[in-house]
Amino acid sequence: MPFVARETIRGRMDWTLVWATVALLFMGTLAVASASWHLPYSNHILQKHFLALGIGAFAFLAGLSLNYQVYQDQSKAAYVVAILLLLAVLIFGQTLRGTRGWFRLPFFSFQPSEVVRILTIFVVANYLVHRGRWVTELPVVIGTFALAAPVLALILAEPDLSSTLVLFPTLLCMLFCAGARPSHLSALAGYGLVSFAMPLVWTYLSLRPERTASGLGGFLGSLSHFSLTFFLALAGFAAVLAFLYWFHAKMRFQLPWYYFAALYLVLAGGLSTGILVNHALKDYQKKRFVSFLSPEADPRGSGYNLRQAQIALGSGGFWGKGMFSGTQSQLGFLPERHTDFVFAVIGEELGFLGALFTLGLYLFVLWRLVMAARVARDEFGYLVACGLTGLFGFHLLINTGMTVGLLPVAGVPLPMVSYGGSSLVVSLWSLGIAQSVYMRRFML
Amino acid sequence: MSQSIAPRVRLDVLWIFLYASCAIIALRLFDLQLLRHEALLKAAERNRTQLIFTTSPRGRIFDRNGRLLAGNRATFSLVYLPPKTEETEELERLARTLASTLKQTPNEIMGILQRALKRGAPVRLAQGIPWQAMFQLSELKTLVRGMNLVVEAERTYPYGALGSHLLGYLGNMETKYLGLLREAEGYRMDSMIGKAGIERLFERDLHGIDGGILLEVDAGGHLKRVLDRIPFRPGRDITLTLDAQVQEAAENALRRSVSGKGAVVAMDPYTGEILALASQPGFDPNWFVELPTEKGPRTRHQIPEFNLAVQGTYPPGSILKIVTAAALFNEGRARPGDRVHCPGYFKLGDRTFKCWRKEGHGDVAFLDAMRDSCDVYFYQMGLKTGGATLERYSRWFGVGEPTHVPLPGEATGNAFGPMARLGKRPRWRKGDTVNLSIGQGGILVTPIQMAALIGTVATRGTMFRPQFISRISEPDGETIFQTKPEVLRQVDIKPEIWDLLQKSLERVVEDGTGKKCRVPGLVVAGKTGTAQNPRGEDHAWFVAYAGRPGEPPRVALVVLIQHGGHGGETAGPVAKEILEAVFKDRAPTGEAVGRL
Repeated sequence: MPFVARETIRGRMDWTLVWATVALLFMGTLAVASASWHLPYSNHILQKHFLALGIGAFAFLAGLSLNYQVYQDQSKAAYVVAILLLLAVLIFGQTLRGTRGWFRLPFFSFQPSEVVRILTIFVVANYLVHRGRWVTELPVVIGTFALAAPVLALILAEPDLSSTLVLFPTLLCMLFCAGARPSHLSALAGYGLVSFAMPLVWTYLSLRPERTASGLGGFLGSLSHFSLTFFLALAGFAAVLAFLYWFHAKMRFQLPWYYFAALYLVLAGGLSTGILVNHALKDYQKKRFVSFLSPEADPRGSGYNLRQAQIALGSGGFWGKGMFSGTQSQLGFLPERHTDFVFAVIGEELGFLGALFTLGLYLFVLWRLVMAARVARDEFGYLVACGLTGLFGFHLLINTGMTVGLLPVAGVPLPMVSYGGSSLVVSLWSLGIAQSVYMRRFML
Repeated sequence: MSQSIAPRVRLDVLWIFLYASCAIIALRLFDLQLLRHEALLKAAERNRTQLIFTTSPRGRIFDRNGRLLAGNRATFSLVYLPPKTEETEELERLARTLASTLKQTPNEIMGILQRALKRGAPVRLAQGIPWQAMFQLSELKTLVRGMNLVVEAERTYPYGALGSHLLGYLGNMETKYLGLLREAEGYRMDSMIGKAGIERLFERDLHGIDGGILLEVDAGGHLKRVLDRIPFRPGRDITLTLDAQVQEAAENALRRSVSGKGAVVAMDPYTGEILALASQPGFDPNWFVELPTEKGPRTRHQIPEFNLAVQGTYPPGSILKIVTAAALFNEGRARPGDRVHCPGYFKLGDRTFKCWRKEGHGDVAFLDAMRDSCDVYFYQMGLKTGGATLERYSRWFGVGEPTHVPLPGEATGNAFGPMARLGKRPRWRKGDTVNLSIGQGGILVTPIQMAALIGTVATRGTMFRPQFISRISEPDGETIFQTKPEVLRQVDIKPEIWDLLQKSLERVVEDGTGKKCRVPGLVVAGKTGTAQNPRGEDHAWFVAYAGRPGEPPRVALVVLIQHGGHGGETAGPVAKEILEAVFKDRAPTGEAVGRL
């Protein structure tokens, strides 16, 4: 009975999420229109934006109407599709701004890593559902990352650092929600932190050569290669830990030995990965680190973006300069203004009120996603909703954190607000999936 | 679902994490958008606006008859607005395009452009662009972004080198001056400031407040629109007491003289107003206004900046005989009728002092001695007067004292006598008195001191401070400063002594050493002088005052010709030319009209 089904859908849908999304899309459209107003290809951008909005609406409906459990059944296929898409884009894809990550289609370019992120969430959710009982054990945690490793590696190979940057905490978030031990998670988080913090430290040291003259700076600097010092440091660190273990045993504490082993592995592994990441980093990415660490180092170069975003936000004040009249965004001082720095455009033209409103809307959408997870009728739905919460949440935090200058410039867009066709369509599709989880909360 | 309780708690933890993170970002937004709003708004305004300064016209300088000595003309400057982002490859193209038009090498222009880019401030690529080049550049303006032509006021001196030592010249701001002038409105690193003369002395009056054009530009340096035009405020006008015609006559006469080097000061003895203050060689202050590249390297030390009239010191020579005579008769050491025999030399102990005329003057009384400038007469009379008295009188007449003419670097000269020598070696001897009595020895004076001295004789005892500023007025014509005559000192000598001195000086010009300066229709009184110069030809002096018969003297005058030899021969004709210029069809003065 289609009529009844439609009534059911309408009755069970999370309309607050829909309206919040519409409001967010409206803010985004305004900001993109304003930011691209003076660009020579402004019409083109707006056309594509509205086209993506149209397709996104259908994607939303598709995600909503399809039972989300289908993705669980087809998770193997999803995994294969994800890998194939990433391989295909590496071979046939088009290079934009140094990243081979786009398929060129007749009307617009398509970025498969956007879809792949959602597919990875399905695959990991399915894996965790099946291994749910042993999620407190380390092998499952490692297994999760082993499963995601090919995807992460292929995305890094494009190289698309920012997608990886968002996907990693999303997976951690899913593991956390699945019930993994905080100790395992913190070890993993520590590993991730070390592998990203070390390149930061090395970049900083290369910026301030005088720091390497002193003891600690010089020591840290010498770790940036697989040198003799590096191996000596690892050995020394192992010795220190062994001594600590022996000493604490003497003091009659009862800590298991593998705590010490894990600490060692996290540091050593993180350091090694950090070296690899450091070598894989492009110059412009290192420059972004530089600009975050000391924006004054090169005010016209890479520190420029950071500085201009803060000027844009700050000059907006409480009420903002009014739509289409922000000097920073209209006169081109704000770079990447319709994509990564769109939040700064909102902050400049609509002021503190507008920025806070957007942030609040986003937080509201996240709350509804959390709600979908809370009411999900099965573990898969719960984990998918958690994964989506993590994905949107970390996008929001990294993007706004970067715009306000709390995080390094990472080139992460703000989904549904930033201009970007693939991102918009996939975001709406994933919100549709969250709706599907919410809608089918009752056991039928 | 055994784990269904624990995960829901974790969901809360996740939510709290997201919520708290957003709260931190909101706090940061609060910090940026509300607490630091002012500062960041200013930064945004700095981003989007560029101020191109328009140099305000400096105050004009007029002579006493309203002739323009220093004015302004409109010129075009090429201003480059650097883009806010780095794009150097376009700069090189630009530098090559400009190089041919501006006649500079591409590398030079590239350097200027890169500095502008680094500082992020507009820069002047060229000033005072000629009209032909301007048209070429105005085409360029449409092609190259960031290029603009602005109209500016540029200093110009219509009379060229006339009065250059008095007017001074302009130069680029130096760091030390920027520190001093920072508090003053309207000074920037690229401002031109007065470096000498009136331009320097009255810098703060002459310098107006620059205006500007406030432009809105985008990140690429494209001009969007003009936000505001800030009008400039011109500097104050200065009217001098100088008479351009007299000044011109003085400079021309000096240039035509034997050596072409020398100084002239002509002033009104009753007010101290300077009618002409010339020093040769001079320079054309217009040179400094133009860009140095256009006329080759003309560095500052090549400019004859030394103002002989106030900075040059020379022995006064026979001019000092006026003082000797005043001391002699005022102190009653001799009567004017007393005769002295001049054989052409004077013996004092084992020393012999020569008269300038080898064959001697025979028996001379005062009037003849003065007329022919007989040295032997004054040697003997000087000894009668005494060195200390001579020194006292010479100080009284202003020797060794500044005239306080408002020009920087005025020399005070050197008073010579037993008091100045006190406590020093060698001790004062009679031979020194002999030398002092004809103005030789260690005595040194400046031309302007001598002008004041002869002026004192003309006014019978009142020495006025030499001044050249008549008034300073705002651009709208309101006078804010008017010079009043200032009495520098009073020389109290009996009236009959003044009569005697004036009569003797008149005879010098009538048929004595100064007869080359005789001007028909005028009463001219003067005294020649020859300053002995051990390093070459003697310097020639001539001091004079003159007036129409029956009127008080109108001008006191000093002429110094460096290496001119005898005063009467070389300095006299110069003085004559100047006197002719002073009295040539000048309207009768106010007091003369009143008397009619």
